Amino acid sequence: MSENRPLAARATLRLALMMAAAVAALSLMAMALQYRLVETRMTEAARATLTADLGGYAALYEQRRIIALRQAIEYRAAAPSGAEMLLLLDRRGNVLAGTEAQWPAGLTAQGAGFTVDPAEEFTQGGTRWLAVARELPGGFPLLVARSLAPVDATLASLRRGMAALGLALLLAGAGVGWLAARSVMRRIGRLNALADRVAGGELSARLPGPRRHDEFGLLETHVHGMLDRIENLNRATHRLSDTIAHELRTPLNRLMQKLGRIEGQEDTVDALRGEIRQSIRVFDSLLDISRAEADQGSGGGLVPVDLSEVAQEVWELYEPMAEDKGLLVQADVAPGLRVLGDRNLIAQMLSNLIDNAIKYCGPGDSLRLTLTEGADRHLMQVADTGPGLPEDLRAEAFDRFTRAERDRGIKGHGLGLALVRAIAARHGAKLEMPAAEKGFVLDIGWPKLAP
Amino acid sequence: MDRILIVEDDPETAEAVAQEVRALGCEPVWLATLDEGVAASSQDFRVIVLDRMLPGGDGVEAMARIRAGGSRAMILVLSALGRAAQRVEGLEKGADDYLPKPFEPEELRARLRALLRRGTIEVLDNDLLAFGDLEIRLKARTVHVRRAHVAVSPKEFELITYFARNAGQVVTRMQLLENVWKLHFDPGTNVVDVHVGRLRRKLEEAGSAAIQTARGEGYVFAPLKAG
Repeated sequence: MSENRPLAARATLRLALMMAAAVAALSLMAMALQYRLVETRMTEAARATLTADLGGYAALYEQRRIIALRQAIEYRAAAPSGAEMLLLLDRRGNVLAGTEAQWPAGLTAQGAGFTVDPAEEFTQGGTRWLAVARELPGGFPLLVARSLAPVDATLASLRRGMAALGLALLLAGAGVGWLAARSVMRRIGRLNALADRVAGGELSARLPGPRRHDEFGLLETHVHGMLDRIENLNRATHRLSDTIAHELRTPLNRLMQKLGRIEGQEDTVDALRGEIRQSIRVFDSLLDISRAEADQGSGGGLVPVDLSEVAQEVWELYEPMAEDKGLLVQADVAPGLRVLGDRNLIAQMLSNLIDNAIKYCGPGDSLRLTLTEGADRHLMQVADTGPGLPEDLRAEAFDRFTRAERDRGIKGHGLGLALVRAIAARHGAKLEMPAAEKGFVLDIGWPKLAP
Repeated sequence: MDRILIVEDDPETAEAVAQEVRALGCEPVWLATLDEGVAASSQDFRVIVLDRMLPGGDGVEAMARIRAGGSRAMILVLSALGRAAQRVEGLEKGADDYLPKPFEPEELRARLRALLRRGTIEVLDNDLLAFGDLEIRLKARTVHVRRAHVAVSPKEFELITYFARNAGQVVTRMQLLENVWKLHFDPGTNVVDVHVGRLRRKLEEAGSAAIQTARGEGYVFAPLKAG
C-alpha cells in the first residue's frame, strides 16, 4: 500500500489541477468577452463626445470662420479640464489658440472638414488621445482631441479585477477539484488495497461496510462477485487435486502390491518399481508445487522456524554425498536466523537446490551455501561452479518441466526449480539469479521474523 | 496371536495390508468404514492401520475418538494424502506413524514391525545398549567396538541409536529420513545411503559388521548375527 500512496496523490493532484484550469479558462473567456464589449462601448462614447465637440466648432466656423473658432478655443483653453486637447495654428505654424504650446509630434493633419472620420489615436504625456487633425481652408491646422484616460483607467481596473477573480477561481477550482478527486481516489484506493491483498494471496479479503448505490458501489459489488468466484474455483481446485491424488494413487498402489506377488523376476520387478516410484515423484512434486502456489501469501500453516538450523541440517545431510563426488564444499551459516515458515518445505527447497548442484557439478567444482543477516531480509545463497544454466534457459528456468537439451542424459523431471520457486513464493521469499562467471548462483531473500 | 485392525475402503489395498500382517505372524481384522473401525477399536488390537479418506470421514480426525474409546493400539495412518504437511498433521494429531500411498510392501512391513516392537520395549531406562562387543552409551553419546572407541558424528550417533532400537529388523531409507533427520519428503537421491555407508565403514574398520544391506528394502542392524 505504501508504494501506491504517491501514485494516488499524483493522480488526485492532476485531476484537481485539470478541473481548476478548466473552470478558470472558461471564466476567463467569459470575462474577456465582457472586456471587449466594455472597451468598444467606451471608445464609442469617446468618439461621440468628440463628434459633439466638432459639431459645435463647425457651427462657429460657419458663422465667422477662424475668428470665432479662435475665440471659442481661447475661452475653453482658459479653463482646461485636462480631458480635451485643442489647438489652432496660423498658416506659418504659430499658435493662435489652444491648450497646447505646440503641434504634437507625429500627428499630421488630414482633410479639411469637421467630420469625426478619419480620427486617429496618439499618445502624449502618458495618456492616449483620440484626435481629429484638420487643415482648415487658408492653411489653418486645427486639432480637436479627447483624452482616452478614463477609458484606459476603467479598462485597467477591469483587468485588475479579472486577474484577481481569475486567481480566486483557479484556487477555488483547485480546492473543489482536490476535494472531489480525493473522495474519488479514496474509493479507488479502497479497491486498490483490496486488489493488493488478493494478489498477495488473501483470497478471502473483502471490503467491509455498506456499499453506496453508485458506480463505485457497483464496481465493488462486481469485484466481490469476481473474488467469490475465484475463491470457489480455488477451493474446487484444492479438492480436485486431493481427489486426483487419491484416485490415481489407488491404481498405482494396486500395481505396486501386485508387483510384490511376482516371483522369480526380481530385476524386472525392481525396474518396474523404480518406474512407479519415479511417476509418483513427478506427481508428488506437481502436487507440492500447486499446493505451495495455492497457499501463497495466506500465511496459514506457517510457524516460527530456525532457518539457520534447517539450512545446517540439510547441508549436513548432503555434505557427505557432495564430498564423495569430489566437490569442494563450504557452508557459512549465521546462527539463529528465524523466519515464519514450514520446516519441511524449506528443507525440501534447499534439498532440491543442493541436490541439483551435486547432480550437475563434477569433481573439483565448488559448492557453497551461505546464510547471512541482511538489512531487511535473511540472505541465503547457493552457489556452485558447475555448468550453470544455458543463457537461453535463464528466463524460464523456474517453469515446470523446463530442462536443458544438454541435460537429457541426467536423471530428473524439470520440476525441481519450479518447486523451489513455489516454496519461495509461499514464504514471501525473493529469488534472484545474479550473473555469475561460472556455475549456478541463486540468492534467496527471506522475510525476517519480527522478534 | 496379536491382532491388527485394518480400516480401509479399498479391498485390494486391504488385502495387501492383510498379507503383510499375516507375514508378521499377526491376525488381520478388516473393516471398510470409519464408524465400524472406531467402534471396533476398543477391542484388543496391537496396531490400527487407518486410511484417511474413508466412507464416514477422515481417519486422522477420528483418532481422538479411537483414543477416547480406550484403545492403546499403535496407529499407523496409511493414506493417499501423503504430502509432508499432511504427514506432519497426522503425526501431530496422534498417529504413531504415517505411510503415504502408494506404498511398497517392504516399507509397510518394516513400519508394522517397528510399531509392534515399540509396543513391547518402549522404555529403555538403561544408559547402555550392548550388542555383544558393540556398546552404545546414550548419555555419553559414545560408541565402542571391542572396547575401542569409534568416533562418530552427532548425526551418525543418532543413526546408530535408531538402528539399535530396531535391531534385527529391516529399516527403510524413508524411516531413517523421517526418524533421524525428521524430514517428511522424498529427496529422490539416496542421500541416506552415503551416511549409512560412512557409519558402516567406521564400524567395519573397528571390526563390527553390524549394518547389513537388505536388498531392495533398506538396512538391517544385526550385530550379534554378524558376530
